Amino acid sequence: MAFNYDKYLRLEKMPTLWCWGCGDGVILKAFVRAVDKLGINQDDICVVSGIGCSGRFSSYVDFNTVHTTHGRTVAFATGIKLMHPDKIVVCVAGDGDALAIGGNHTIHGARRNIDMTLIIINNFIYGLTNSQTSPTTPQGMWSVTQKAGNIDPTFDACALGIAAGASFVARETMLDPKKLEKIFVKAMEHRGFSYLDILSNCHINLGRKNKMISAMDNLNWIDSITMPKKKYDALSPEEQINILPTGILKEDTTAREYCDMYQDIIDVHQGRRKVVTQDDFVKKI
Amino acid sequence: MAASAMIEYPGNVPVWVNRDNCKACDICVAVCPAGVLGMRYDSTSTLGAMISVNNPEACIGCNDCELNCPDFAIYVAEKSQFKFAKLTDEAKARQEKIVANNYMSLDLQGVK
Repeated sequence: MAFNYDKYLRLEKMPTLWCWGCGDGVILKAFVRAVDKLGINQDDICVVSGIGCSGRFSSYVDFNTVHTTHGRTVAFATGIKLMHPDKIVVCVAGDGDALAIGGNHTIHGARRNIDMTLIIINNFIYGLTNSQTSPTTPQGMWSVTQKAGNIDPTFDACALGIAAGASFVARETMLDPKKLEKIFVKAMEHRGFSYLDILSNCHINLGRKNKMISAMDNLNWIDSITMPKKKYDALSPEEQINILPTGILKEDTTAREYCDMYQDIIDVHQGRRKVVTQDDFVKKI
Repeated sequence: MAASAMIEYPGNVPVWVNRDNCKACDICVAVCPAGVLGMRYDSTSTLGAMISVNNPEACIGCNDCELNCPDFAIYVAEKSQFKFAKLTDEAKARQEKIVANNYMSLDLQGVK
């Protein structure tokens, strides 16, 4: 028998509502395999998702799940994590969810370095609402809201995560599910904010009007714009402009985790220590 | 509605398909290194096409089709259940032909 997915899925919801060839399904499968690899009990993990195609992610997995309002995945997940510091919390958000409407929640979650995994499924477009420009839509591509071609410069999601202070930042594509599984395992094992930018395809709403009519056309395009970090570092700055590095871009195990710091506050109020001062922190400004 | 994401191992095959879940996206055919799979038109499936396991004897058990399938539709047997073949030049050439044929099975030339 091959790997038993049935154990982790809500079978009454199958088959998935995603379009044919959608990367979300590959990411779902890699995530389920990663959970199995870590041997996590289904009751000890909570999946929080927002609105968008990625929002359906929480409907298909048989864990504790919350389907929240648009962009507020990290906000809801922060509450869940503070209430249950021993549980594993995973947020799943799309590029519109995490970088546009929920941009502030994302950067402040990363700043606090709270122990959760944020999976950003980045398909370069607002897919669910039919092709509006998202913060990651490449310049010059067609979208419903910019029919003459998109002129808005794009976000580098990982650079944003690094700057905001996430302690584990990685980018991977859905082209290599084996690597994807490994990165999910590492991210869930990491104590601190794990920020994952997973590039995915939307050949229906991005590709249709941008000369990538089938899933494989779109995947080949993603393949052409990504490169492993080691190879990427060897390129000249001119060559790096149109390439996104993949792999682990930042891993900091020394940064203090938010639930640990919050325990100090609990200790103050329960009389176990006097007060939290600047001397308790390495970084003072 | 499918009662299960996967179906029981039918025995003595390297790859098997859950036809209720397949959406005919061509990804499994594209990632196969050995030209085992091919698409075939099928009027009974939702999107008009279905995976067909044309050359099971060439399967090398790399699991790529299963891992890349977004819809939990195709499964590969364990190494203990089936004796997989080694990757041959003939299999590689067949895969190139299938990709050139727009992922359709080779007996359906130029239909897509």
